Amino acid sequence: MKTTEDLKKFYREKLYIALLPLERQRKKIVKVLAITGAVITFIVLGVTILTGGFSRSPNLFAFILSLILGLAAFAGAYFIVAKGYKNQFKSEIIEKLVKFFDEGLYYNPELRITSENYMASRIFPKEPDRYNGEDYISGKLGKTAVEFSEVHSEYKTESTDSKGRRHTNWHTIFKGIFFIADFNKAFEGVTVVLPDTAEKLFGFFGTMLQGYNFTRGKLIKLEDPEFEKEFAVYGDNQVTARYILSTSLMEKIMEFKKKTGRPLHMSFVNSRLYIAVSYEKNLFEPKLFATLLDFELVLEYYKDLALFTGIVEDLSLNDRLWSKD
Amino acid sequence: MVQGWYKGGSMEKYFLLGIGIVFVVIVFIFNSLIVRRNQLKNAYATVDALLKKRYDLIPNIVETVKGYAKHESELFTGIAKLRSEALSGQKTGKNKEELDREIGGALKSILAVSENYPELKANGNFLHLQKTLNEVEEQISAGRRAYNASVNDYNNAVMMFPTNIFAKLLGFKPGDYYTVTAGERENVNTGELFKK
Repeated sequence: MKTTEDLKKFYREKLYIALLPLERQRKKIVKVLAITGAVITFIVLGVTILTGGFSRSPNLFAFILSLILGLAAFAGAYFIVAKGYKNQFKSEIIEKLVKFFDEGLYYNPELRITSENYMASRIFPKEPDRYNGEDYISGKLGKTAVEFSEVHSEYKTESTDSKGRRHTNWHTIFKGIFFIADFNKAFEGVTVVLPDTAEKLFGFFGTMLQGYNFTRGKLIKLEDPEFEKEFAVYGDNQVTARYILSTSLMEKIMEFKKKTGRPLHMSFVNSRLYIAVSYEKNLFEPKLFATLLDFELVLEYYKDLALFTGIVEDLSLNDRLWSKD
Repeated sequence: MVQGWYKGGSMEKYFLLGIGIVFVVIVFIFNSLIVRRNQLKNAYATVDALLKKRYDLIPNIVETVKGYAKHESELFTGIAKLRSEALSGQKTGKNKEELDREIGGALKSILAVSENYPELKANGNFLHLQKTLNEVEEQISAGRRAYNASVNDYNNAVMMFPTNIFAKLLGFKPGDYYTVTAGERENVNTGELFKK
């Protein structure tokens, strides 16, 4: 495991140099955006004056139209200049950081965990209507193959309002990091570990309700009361579920849950481990209106990455005491 | 007259409905008890199947270790005797549990002894057997935990009102949990022995 000291050294020796041209570019972009903004404001004001916006009978239509066009032009300019900057930042900085963890790791800012793998996890049974993602990382950490990326899955609902117009509404199923690893024990079947909302809300009655969740398979009651309070476990086999969720793994999962401080969904399907950690923010994005030459910023990217590459150690996935190599 | 007859009819209807509901509730309670007892039996059979897997491993392990550690013959005959006793199926209940505990202990001591033979530790076949045994032991422990969970489920039904009334009528008695002895608790994870 790399320490913060290692990271500081790496930052001084490698990252800083790579960050300098990006920082110059960022400043240029901010300047360009400021000028664009000023010019557009000027034009909007000009149009407003010319169409008599400040007279007694202001032409509201012309004012609003020029304002909307102005904002759209600004947004377009922002999108064009920021996109190149973002891509360059990712391929320069994030890739270097990923390689800093392990030379063997592969990073692609455009790829994502495939939707087939996402569905195979059985964590979110609902088929998404829209599936996006970026920042794909994969490789082998010790004996364990891992891959993860940002994923955003959504489903849509359609409604018709009183005037007969159709509206499409998008609802998020999952947004965050989706992580897949090769598990250290061989097993078949499905075991799903979900945040336990029912038991927290309704106590004993909640447990009874969980017993009747037919879509998920059988409820599996485990011995660890702390674990039971946080998670509800469903599976197709009582023994397999306990073979996977040994008492020590349950403790490790609790530790990991505390470390993330976020809703945690997990599943174990045919010798593979799937973890979905919910995030609101978009990870590994560069800042535009603040300096890049700040170690704290790098530390933040590093911590987000370390949380996931650290899973292998946190859950002792490299311990191959069983027949699976 | 006619009205009175109707009244009586509706009373009768309610009475029949009441009996119907009581009947459904009884069937439900009865079935839930049977389901739980069957689950318990099923969990027990699963542990048995896993123990059988362990018995099957014993000859292989003994054969492999024997080649390197000839002086430990006492251990080998001891475990062979325990194994044949277990396979004969004469012992049941607590006695069988005790026997399986002894087998687990004997296997552990064989593996502990093998620590003294570096050549044995480097043998690929032995390493494979060791991993397989770890896996079986882990599965047995999972099977026992599953068994205990079904005992818990079953005992709740047998002891709690109102299912306890029916349990008594049917002669269902609370089941025994599988317990870990103090000695076992000390070194539960045989895998720890092999960590370098």
